[in-house]
Parts: sequence; structure tokens; C-alpha cells
Amino acid sequence: MSEKYEHVGEAEEGFVLSALEPDQLVRAANKAMPRRQLRGGELALLWALRVYVVFMLMVVFWQAWTTR
Amino acid sequence: MKRGFGSRIWLIWLLIGPGILVMLGENDGPSMLSYAATGAKFGLGFFLPFVVLTFAMAFVVQEMTVRLGAATHRGHASLIFERFGPFWGWFAMIDLGIGNFLTLITELIAVRAGMSFFGIPPWISVLTALAVLGAVLLSHRYWTWERTTLLAAAFNLVFVPVALMAHPDWSAFGHAFATWQPVPSLDKDTVLILLSDIGATVTPWMLFFQQSATVDKGLTAKDIHFGRIDTLLGAGLAAAAALGTIVATAPLAHHISASSFQAAQFAQALQPIIGHFGAALFALGMVEAGIVACITISTSSAYAFGEVARKPHSLNLPAKEGKSFYAVLYTCAAAAGAIVLIPGLPLVFVVLVVNVIAVLAMPPALVFLYLLVNDKDIMGDVKSPRWANLLAGAVVVLLTAAGVLYGVSVVAPGAFAWLGGH
Repeated sequence: MSEKYEHVGEAEEGFVLSALEPDQLVRAANKAMPRRQLRGGELALLWALRVYVVFMLMVVFWQAWTTR
Repeated sequence: MKRGFGSRIWLIWLLIGPGILVMLGENDGPSMLSYAATGAKFGLGFFLPFVVLTFAMAFVVQEMTVRLGAATHRGHASLIFERFGPFWGWFAMIDLGIGNFLTLITELIAVRAGMSFFGIPPWISVLTALAVLGAVLLSHRYWTWERTTLLAAAFNLVFVPVALMAHPDWSAFGHAFATWQPVPSLDKDTVLILLSDIGATVTPWMLFFQQSATVDKGLTAKDIHFGRIDTLLGAGLAAAAALGTIVATAPLAHHISASSFQAAQFAQALQPIIGHFGAALFALGMVEAGIVACITISTSSAYAFGEVARKPHSLNLPAKEGKSFYAVLYTCAAAAGAIVLIPGLPLVFVVLVVNVIAVLAMPPALVFLYLLVNDKDIMGDVKSPRWANLLAGAVVVLLTAAGVLYGVSVVAPGAFAWLGGH
């Protein structure tokens, strides 16, 4: 019996993996991921960048308006 | 088990895809127009090594998305929502949604402009782009979609032979890489091109697309090494096409007003230098760049929508099961196409502004990426090493500084005179 399993080649192994992996990935993706609390510094950075984006977008639209 | 060289190459061939697609996909219509404007305005100099640097930045950033996708089996939008909650998730989605839609418009502008070189009316150009988008999706298989799009993306390299047709000055080319000279004077136009070239290489949609495509392709943690090769190969090919475009238009330097040029006009201006065949290849390159990016960007929007709305989202889905996925994909592209056909729309201005907006939206997207890729709970052993974090930090600082420089150039252009520019 053990001799039978020793002869499983790369092609067969690849076939088995290709059949198994999609299901394994679906299971992994369905596993709930807990929420992570952002720390003070991280929150401050995200807010600062949010303000930066909004301000810079206003600059872009101002330039668009004045160079029409 | 030890693999032979042949089987290793075969494995690489099977596993490449998302990295090359994202890099060549980002060599899109506005990007190629930006590179063309760079060559036509500044010739061979500072911007040649600078563009290579931007692709190095793109590699650093995109490699992180490969690790995230392979380790978590989740798309980028889904991860931000799950880990940081809907408040920050929606911010990221709004940035992506607006950026993607504006970029899609510019892709179809590039297709329209490129086809106008051959005298094709705008509505036929837009319908052709949408028909190609529909055709590559017909198989409902990720693998077929990926290989077909890769084949189309390979045409991006047409800018390399076009550059050779322009008989470039190789000593100036080598000198530029060795010394980063000549450096252009610091003024409003230079800053706009600088920002536009950065936006031509690193944009938020690339993060969402490559991570989702890595998941859709089924890469796992053990495939990360191949994902890196894929991304590096993509960065190298895209950089070659970008440099080719700058070199091709360099003979136009100082002879034309590059900022007001569209694809067809670049091709027409190049015709006396590279001949009708070369100019036609240049125009076709623009068409290809627009169509491939139209495919990848609309797919990126559909992936993100599916992840956030928790609807099925895969290119492997049959039409019936993936109704919302395909509906978002087609609707985004069709709406962008309709806008491009509005008479009197300032097309060139839209193209320039879109790359700038992409750069401005990038730092917040990179901070989310940085936080996720350093999250040991979800990344385990493939958490970012210190060197990758330092490089990512440098990219955030550089992009933010470029954005601030642009703001200064608009709000207080006189400040450049103080810095030694015009």
C-alpha cells in the first residue's frame, strides 16, 4: 500500500492541490477578521492626511477654475 | 523537492500576471501623454532617471499588496473595512471611486485621441474600447482574462521601437542617467510634469487591483516570491515603455507647447522625424494604453464594490452569478465613455488634472497599506521587514512633499523665485 503512494508524481500532486486550494482560500476568506483599534498617533496621521487631501483638491479645482 | 530550471521558468510563467498587468496597466493613456509631454518639454535629462525612480517606488508599494493578498486571501477594500471599520473604509472607497472614474474618462480620451490619428470618429473609438472590454470578459475565467489582457498589454512596448526610430542621442541618454542632468528650472510647469510623472506610476487603483487579482488568481504565502518576480518584471517592462516614450518625443523638445498636446498631435508632430509608420505606431500605442487601463481600472472598481457590498466578485464568475460584479464593471466604463463624447469637454485639462489627483490621494492609501502590512495578527511571518517600512515611509514623504510643492506652485508661484527657480 505504501508503495502505491510513493508513486504519486508532481502532476498528480499539482492536480490535487489545484482542486483543494480554491476551497481552502474560500474558507480562509470567510473567517471573520476582528476589528483593530487605531492608536492615537495613527488616527492623527490619518486625519492630517484627510485634511491634506481635501485642501489640495480645493487647490486643484481652484487652478482648474482660474485657468479655464 | 528540487526543481529544474525549465520547470522553474514554467512556474514563473504560470504565476506571473497581476504584477505585469498592474504596471503595464498604469502605463495608461494619461501616463503615456505625461511621458510624451516630458520628452517634448525637457528632452533627455533629469526626468529619465526620475521616471526609473518612480517605478522603483511603485515596486516597493505593489510588493506589499502581493504579500497582503497572499497572506489574507482578501482584497484591499475588504481588509480596510474589516480591520479599520466602515468609517475609514468609506473614505478609502470614495477616494478610489472618484479616482477610478476620472481615470477611466482619461483612458477613453486617450483611445479617442489615438484613433483620431487614423481619422476614426470619437463614437466609434469609444465603442471599440467598450467592445474589447466586453470581449476579454466573455470567457468568465480569470486565467483567460489575464492572458488576453497580458497579450494586449505587451503592445505597450511598442514605444521602445518608436524611440529607436527617433535616432536618440545615446551620449545624452547615458549622461542623464549618470548625472541626473540637465535639471530643469523649478517653476509651475516643471512641478506639474513632476507630479504628473509620479501620478503616472503610483496610484490608489493599483493597490486595490493587484491585491484583488492576487486573491482571484489564488496565490498563497508560498507564492509570494513569484509575485515579487512578477511585479519586478512588470516594473521593468513599464519603465522601458515610459523611457521609450520620453526618448521618442525628445526631438520635439523646445519646439512645441507640450502641455496642450493630445496623443494624435504628438503623433503628427513626430511624423517628420519617425515617418508615418512610426507615428502610426505611436498613436496605436496610445490606443492600447487606454484600452488596457480601461480593462484593469474598471475591474479594480468592480472588485472593490463586490468586496464592500459583500457581493460575489471574481472574474471566474459566470454572468448569472456575478451580475453585480459585471454590472459595475460595464457601467463604470460605459458612463466614462458617454462623458468623453460630450462636445466641448476640456479633454486635455482633464487628463493633466487626473494624474495630479492620483498623487494627492496616494499618501492616505499608503498609510492604510503600511498599517495592514505591519499587522502581525493578519500577516504572521510575512509582516513587513524594517527595510520595506523605511522605503514605504520614504515614498509617503516624497509623494506628500510633491503634493505640497504643487500646492505652493499654484497658491504662491513667487516662492519658486526665492528657491532659485522662475
